[in-house]
Amino acid sequence: MKRAILVVVVALALLVPATAGAHPLGNFSVNHLVTVSVSSDRVDLRYTLDQAEIPTFQERDLPRNQVLAHKQAEVKRALHLTVNGHAVPLVQGLGKLSAPPGQGGLPLTRVELPLSAAVHNPRSVRVDDETFPDRVGWKAVVAEPGKGTAVRSTAPSGDPTDGLRHYPQDMLSSPLAERTAKLTVTPGTGTLTAPRAVGGPTTTDRSGDGFAGVFADAAAGKGALLLLILTAFAWGAVHALSPGHGKTMVAAYLVGTRGTAKHALGLGATVTITHTIGVFALGLVALLLAQFILPEQLYPWLSLVSALLVLGIGASVLRSRLRARKRGHGHQHHQHHHHHEHEAPSKKTILALGASAGLLPCPSALVVLLAALASHQIPLGIGLILVFSLGLAATLTCLGLLVVYAQRLSARLRVPGRITALVPVLSSLGIVAIGVVMTAKAVPQLA
Amino acid sequence: MVATKRLRSGILLLASAATMAFVATFAVLTLVNSGSGPAPERQLDGAAPARTTDGQIKQLQAQVREAPKQAGLWAELGETYLQKVRETGDASFYTRADGVLQRALALEPQGLEGLVGAGTLALARHDFSGGLRYGLAAHRVAPRLARPLGVIVDAQVELGRYGDAARTLQRMVDLQPDLASYARISYFRELHGDLGGALYAMRLAVSAGGGAPENVAYVQTLLGNLLFERGSLRAARAAYEQAIARFPNYVPAGAGLAKVDAADGRFESAIRRLRDAVARLPLPEYVVALGETEQAAGRATDARRDLALVGAEEKLLRASGVNTDVDLALFEANHGSPARAVTLARRAWAQAPSVRSADALGWALTRSGQPAAGLRWAKRALRLGSVDPTFLYHAGMTAQAAGRTSLARAWLRKSVANNPRFSPLYAPRAQAALR
Repeated sequence: MKRAILVVVVALALLVPATAGAHPLGNFSVNHLVTVSVSSDRVDLRYTLDQAEIPTFQERDLPRNQVLAHKQAEVKRALHLTVNGHAVPLVQGLGKLSAPPGQGGLPLTRVELPLSAAVHNPRSVRVDDETFPDRVGWKAVVAEPGKGTAVRSTAPSGDPTDGLRHYPQDMLSSPLAERTAKLTVTPGTGTLTAPRAVGGPTTTDRSGDGFAGVFADAAAGKGALLLLILTAFAWGAVHALSPGHGKTMVAAYLVGTRGTAKHALGLGATVTITHTIGVFALGLVALLLAQFILPEQLYPWLSLVSALLVLGIGASVLRSRLRARKRGHGHQHHQHHHHHEHEAPSKKTILALGASAGLLPCPSALVVLLAALASHQIPLGIGLILVFSLGLAATLTCLGLLVVYAQRLSARLRVPGRITALVPVLSSLGIVAIGVVMTAKAVPQLA
Repeated sequence: MVATKRLRSGILLLASAATMAFVATFAVLTLVNSGSGPAPERQLDGAAPARTTDGQIKQLQAQVREAPKQAGLWAELGETYLQKVRETGDASFYTRADGVLQRALALEPQGLEGLVGAGTLALARHDFSGGLRYGLAAHRVAPRLARPLGVIVDAQVELGRYGDAARTLQRMVDLQPDLASYARISYFRELHGDLGGALYAMRLAVSAGGGAPENVAYVQTLLGNLLFERGSLRAARAAYEQAIARFPNYVPAGAGLAKVDAADGRFESAIRRLRDAVARLPLPEYVVALGETEQAAGRATDARRDLALVGAEEKLLRASGVNTDVDLALFEANHGSPARAVTLARRAWAQAPSVRSADALGWALTRSGQPAAGLRWAKRALRLGSVDPTFLYHAGMTAQAAGRTSLARAWLRKSVANNPRFSPLYAPRAQAALR
């Protein structure tokens, strides 16, 4: 049966012909929205009700406070909060009732009701909105980030109705009929991973990650793809300058080993690839372990691995420099960097160094990947991460090239041999120092 | 040199590792996505058909997004939206139906599905001439198809062209004897006073079945209405209950049960059912039934309070530019301003010169103190031989007010002949007038 057989006999015409000015969801609709945010010690809910002209008219004889009391009673009866498998009573805050103007000179009813519950160590939170059963209208549950938690939500993070004030008129989607939200909670920094709402943002993160915001705009159809790619590239390039992306290390390494332009390029390529792999791998692990562990909890370990790798590289470079110094004592040093083939950076160290620079994926990039997953925009997300990594690598490569050419320039200036000979040792010491600092920073995070 | 070569092969190795990671990630993402996200819809794309109207809507919305150039898909989505309105009364789907049907017709101006859908929507909005135009256009596209004929019949009946309607209906049932054509035959016979024939046709419609559950629940409710009109209260109740069993919470059937309850003198139960119906789907028809049942039960204050809702609905309709409705004219005649009733009924007659409009205009004229003019319209309302008890009650009271006592007694007696308790409010008045 493909088509409904149509039986149109009289008296079937419905009350409201669709015209401009009518309540977009029909003038007897009862629309409600529940916003939920889970913090480490409490759950906050906000219940919003938008009741159209006819049900409002039916309550016209009741004083306002009694109408509000009826709505509060309905919410008390039928809005349920379950935390860690147990029903938790909700405490109602001060409710607000207003009567915005509707069609035909008739008012609407609008109620906003804050609710909360004190909880201890929430792990799973469930909201069931069973208010006003069988009434036509828009029903939605929306998640918002809390404090001290990392939340994964089945309910979307965005409300396209602006608190039930405007309703999407897309003729290819039905009014929302969402009455349930399930949230998985772990300690965190106020992050939320949630599916994208119709026209809403993808991921809400209180730390204000610019890149995720850019992505959300793109997912919402704003901005051209080209602009987005350029932004991703620029973001990656700028991001490489922020602390912890190994640029100092790369520079110090190239100085220490007297690398060439080729090495600088190779290093850049390695960083791009390892960074991309890192993001994908972490995304993969995060997805597989999503039930048990949050990506946030993986970062400290990755930091440590990265730090130890840097420390190791620094140590090995230092050792080889010291050895070279011992061997080279008494030789003429004025043009040594052209003749020490065996001292040039080896494939292994280039790879290891690039890997350590790229291994620790930027949280921004991971957020993009997870946001892509949440909003079914996977190809776009993956493409953007690649471009982001390219930007990152471009900066590092440029830095490397700068160092390489600056070194040649300094060689031409014929700085006294003693000082030039000392530079590689100092720079390898620098790498070791960076590795020590990174390790020292990573270890406390593990606690 | 050797070092750079090694470096190159190392990068190659890394690149292939990256590709593998990429592929693996993509595979897992896709897997996880289909596992947690919109899995049910995705299954619907497969072999198993979408059972519910909501399921069909989701499926069609997805199909339209995939193939936005296919007029047939847009039209089918529009018709499914109209089915959704029939099931829930959710008016926001009218707007959506309008949008997608216009898109269908823009893509293919002579598309059969688009024309039939647009015709159905026009009829639902009481634009009967528009409905007829779309129906005829669809018929020209597919002369051997029954569906366009259904749109044409509905429009012709509402426009009072009963001779044309009879011919169209015959062709329709010859082409396709199914629920849609039998239900229309039943209504046509009912209008002509052939209750037995109407019942027979409606039983055929019910047993033909098919379509969405709501379609069958709807004809079962219409069967209940016919049984009630004939005075078979118990059979009517059974028909309404079957409709609700077929489609839970079906409001028209709930209102039917309230009618039976009131006829049985169980006013409390009737009022409860009607309150529920009005809360779900506040059509003027149900609000008026609620108010009149309360009035009959001696609850005048409640009745006034509830009937005032019809006034508010009238305001809303006027604000959206719709002024004609027979239900509203009768409401004004009985419970509001008879002068306004005359205006409304005249406008209704101008747009849809059917026996229903004639009945409303006649009763409005009588209530506003013009029973002589009213009588002419009452005769017009009965010209097909209808045995509708409300038509007969209006005609009888009009004749009485016009001083035509014997005619009045004949019509009033006929109004209570089949079902002496056809209305909690008007049946006792008819009985009283006969004493």
